[in-house]
Amino acid sequence: MSRYLGDEWALPYLDPQTRPFFTSGAIRIQVCRSCDTPQHPPDDVCHACQGMEFTHRDSAGLGTVHSYIVVHHAVHPALAERVPYAVALIALDDMPAVRVCGNILDLAPGDVSIGQSVRVVFEEIHDDETDEDLTIPQWETLTR
Amino acid sequence: MQREAVVVGVGESNYYKRGAAPETEFQLACIAIRNAVEDAGLELSEIDGFVSHMESRNDPMRLSRALGVETLNFSAQPWGGGGNGVAAGIMLADAAVSGGLAKCVVAFRALAQGQFGRFGQARMANRLYGAANYSALYGLLSPAHICAMQTRRFMHDHDISQEALADIALACYANAQRNPRALRYGKPLTREEYHASRWIVDPFHLFDCCPENDGAAAVVITTPERARDLRKMPVPILAAAQGLDAGDGFGAFNERSFPTAYYANVGARIWERSGVRPADVDVAQFYENFTGPVLIAMSEMGFAPPDGIEEFVSDGALEGPAARLPFNTSGGNLGEAYIHGFELIVEAVRQVRGESTCQVDDVELSLAVAGPGFAPGSAVLFCRD
Repeated sequence: MSRYLGDEWALPYLDPQTRPFFTSGAIRIQVCRSCDTPQHPPDDVCHACQGMEFTHRDSAGLGTVHSYIVVHHAVHPALAERVPYAVALIALDDMPAVRVCGNILDLAPGDVSIGQSVRVVFEEIHDDETDEDLTIPQWETLTR
Repeated sequence: MQREAVVVGVGESNYYKRGAAPETEFQLACIAIRNAVEDAGLELSEIDGFVSHMESRNDPMRLSRALGVETLNFSAQPWGGGGNGVAAGIMLADAAVSGGLAKCVVAFRALAQGQFGRFGQARMANRLYGAANYSALYGLLSPAHICAMQTRRFMHDHDISQEALADIALACYANAQRNPRALRYGKPLTREEYHASRWIVDPFHLFDCCPENDGAAAVVITTPERARDLRKMPVPILAAAQGLDAGDGFGAFNERSFPTAYYANVGARIWERSGVRPADVDVAQFYENFTGPVLIAMSEMGFAPPDGIEEFVSDGALEGPAARLPFNTSGGNLGEAYIHGFELIVEAVRQVRGESTCQVDDVELSLAVAGPGFAPGSAVLFCRD
């Protein structure tokens, strides 16, 4: 599967905090063991109760476009041939306080708009350098 | 605090296009500081404190040695980000002088991007770290991208058109036509040219984005007693503030008040500490990294509700010395030069002194609001002595 920004584009750094989001095949969000509050991006301390132990919860993967940008001027040489492209901010329907960035794979950049319903799809990539299998969350439009 | 510290000198280097300064960044800093100290009628040896912002490379140890400072009694920088700290630096100088820790504090900012590379440029390796894992992975890379994401949602929530962004840009370019120091002096901008300019990142056209420039600017802050026999009219710091609201400032786009410019708490503190209201302000400088976040900051500071901010800035309401709200009267980051907002601090002081190239009549209250869209925000309100 080829990636939205091209197969040469940067890959995430995997550590205990980032690995669940990028390898689980789900929108896997950090949740505090003490107070059950989800938070994103993950942090070392729970922003609601200062708890320091965490578990995770999977979102059903349905969301709504909360905001978006259309990048016309490439700020990195690797993207010079890729502009214009859109980056959307998706609010998760089942975790309203959590918003994640992503690309909407089936829309031209000019067709993205606030309020669109989307569902998650995954870019499956093998990271040759680390030998990890990645499932990078991405989005496509959903007709409800 | 509250008139216990006063600005007695302002100064700057020449301003240059990015990479065009013949001086090094440290030389630019020393030139601006020397000019500010001379403007005050002080001796360099009397300086005993330095503040800057945005992880300044020009550290106070090196400055003290180069400038012949007798004793260094105070040095500090505010936490966080970039141009959002410019007024917080003034706040720290105010605190140091008011609290008796130092007597003559220089606040300054210098940058030579030819020497040290660009700030606005995204830095990327083939491996992402920290928060970039969740944003740069999808192509959201630069300050422009971050501010565009905030602005798009703000425009949606409050039915704001592209014309409101144009109004911010046009006011800065118009005011720059009165200022021979301005890099856009002699190069006016029309609304048609604004709309015809290329997109950088929708909703920002080219002219919504500030340039990156080389130069330095500085002010000298001392006590009202020391100011008494100096050359220029002292300009008291009536109030200064830096801060955030709960739930904001970490986890971009997941903050409670998204899309915020981080100015609700700063505004509340400025009006509480000064005892005045936004409508009392005679002239205001707002840091414009990009036009959109200025609209958010302006409404969070209390100048108009978000739903009324487009009307507030429209019909030339910000242009020229007799504007409804005289705004970025030297041309600002967009029109004068991008010295990380420090040129806005200098201009705010000049307005109280009556020395601006776009001088507002009888200025009693002169506000400078630091960078929006990056946390924490900061602002400073100067007044007539």
